[in-house]
Amino acid sequence: MKTSTKSLDWGLNAQRLLAVAVLLAIWQVVIWSGTLPSMTPGVAALASSIGEAVASATFWSALAQTMAAAVSGWLIAVVAGTVLGLLIGSVRVLDRSTSILIDFGRSFPVLALMPVVIMLLGATAQMETVVVALSCLWPVLVQTIYGARRMEAAVVDTVQIFQIPAFLRFRRVLLPSATPFIATGIRIAASISILVAVGVEVLSQTPGIGRQITLAQQAQRWDSAFAYLFFAGLVGWGIASLLHFAEGRILKWNRQTND
Amino acid sequence: MTDTALRPESKTGTPARPRRSKVERVRSRPAQLALNILQRTWLIVVVFAVWWIATADSTNVFIPSLESILTSLFRDLSNGVIASGAAYSLGNLAAGLLIAVAVGIVGGLILGETKRLREIVDPVIHFFRSVPQAALVPLIIGAFGIGQGPKIYTIAFACMWPVLLNTIDGVLGVEPTIRKFSKVYRIPRGLHFRKVVLPAALPQIVAGVRVALPIGITVMVVSELFAANKGLGFYILNSSATFMVPETWAGALLVGVIGYILSLLFIVLERRILGWYFKSGAK
Repeated sequence: MKTSTKSLDWGLNAQRLLAVAVLLAIWQVVIWSGTLPSMTPGVAALASSIGEAVASATFWSALAQTMAAAVSGWLIAVVAGTVLGLLIGSVRVLDRSTSILIDFGRSFPVLALMPVVIMLLGATAQMETVVVALSCLWPVLVQTIYGARRMEAAVVDTVQIFQIPAFLRFRRVLLPSATPFIATGIRIAASISILVAVGVEVLSQTPGIGRQITLAQQAQRWDSAFAYLFFAGLVGWGIASLLHFAEGRILKWNRQTND
Repeated sequence: MTDTALRPESKTGTPARPRRSKVERVRSRPAQLALNILQRTWLIVVVFAVWWIATADSTNVFIPSLESILTSLFRDLSNGVIASGAAYSLGNLAAGLLIAVAVGIVGGLILGETKRLREIVDPVIHFFRSVPQAALVPLIIGAFGIGQGPKIYTIAFACMWPVLLNTIDGVLGVEPTIRKFSKVYRIPRGLHFRKVVLPAALPQIVAGVRVALPIGITVMVVSELFAANKGLGFYILNSSATFMVPETWAGALLVGVIGYILSLLFIVLERRILGWYFKSGAK
């Protein structure tokens, strides 16, 4: 039984590799056929520039800069979003008063503010962190509010009747019931953080992977632009899978899948 | 937000009455409504007032007064500078979203129905979904120029993944019993897709489009901020490049307002398309 599932898995992986190979082959054929503009690199050029990028110091420092801005902005958003969200979600009046403002904020494309933010803060790593934090705040905030708001009537009554003190109520009732929602918000925010960090770098002179893509494209180094794009996708994928895994482990008892 | 509002309060059929304090119950309905509106809007008014007063005599060139921002916004709104740009941008967005929805639904239906294929291409899909959308902009615009087509393709590519993934989820969520019925009665393939799988997956598909919409707006703006000769993003970029600071602020705020309005419109559309679904009290 065990061996059969294993061999099945092996077959699946082989087929997955085959699918990637087929995609690459199609890519190469399209390049040869000349339908794409001539600057698009072939598979061989792409592979060699991916190898070249991994060996270069520029790539690693760009990656470090992007990650630093993304992670710091994300952390700020997680702390601010959770605190604000728990507060807003558990106080009815605040919840009502802020609802329009929060709906507005979450549908605001923060990257559109880039020219304004660059004027105010300059094209610095600090500015990048601010934009990332502003973008990541909303999913955390909205999910936390949603989690804090959603309390079963029986639980509310129990807390009231037993006169549970506020702090204990917060720690033992509110937090556990909101945690799965907060976790989902944090996970969504993490993937947004990378997207926004790269976006900021593409649009401004801030150093990082996005900047490298723009530079490579302007220098007509298309193969290395595609290589950086590949790594940007890889990083986003890695972070998404990591958080998915972590959330599954930590919140085994109650996982929310509403993204 | 729609989830909580539309969920039936009780399953027995008698509408559950929300608990209210005595003071509230005594109040007449119009007063209640007014209070409700007041409660929801006062903060917006305060934020606006604070912004207005705080920036009223701002000496910082980069932080213009709210008054001058609004003046330039209304001037450019009335003389059609913004309107033509907005029409161009929103046209691109609509076209890109349409392509994304069409490709996403068709692809999702096929992948959702064929397990083997889905398992094989799963890593590829997740990889493409994780590519930062904004990073595509320099490549696609660099390769295909600053015209309308490349922008539409970029929007379509970025918006396609959430629709595709949600469609797959929706197809997988079709009740096995319904599936068996369709098989037992030998419903032809086309009819099976159109009348069984698609309606069952529709709520998920719509949720996917809701995720795709803000992504599309962001990519739309980024593609124009990067390089364009028309559109809302171009308006912002051009104003900032020529040091028209109030106009830059006005453009950025306008994009935010448009984003908000579009998300509200989408909720209305969602209720129309999925009216039957919400009514059934499912979820």
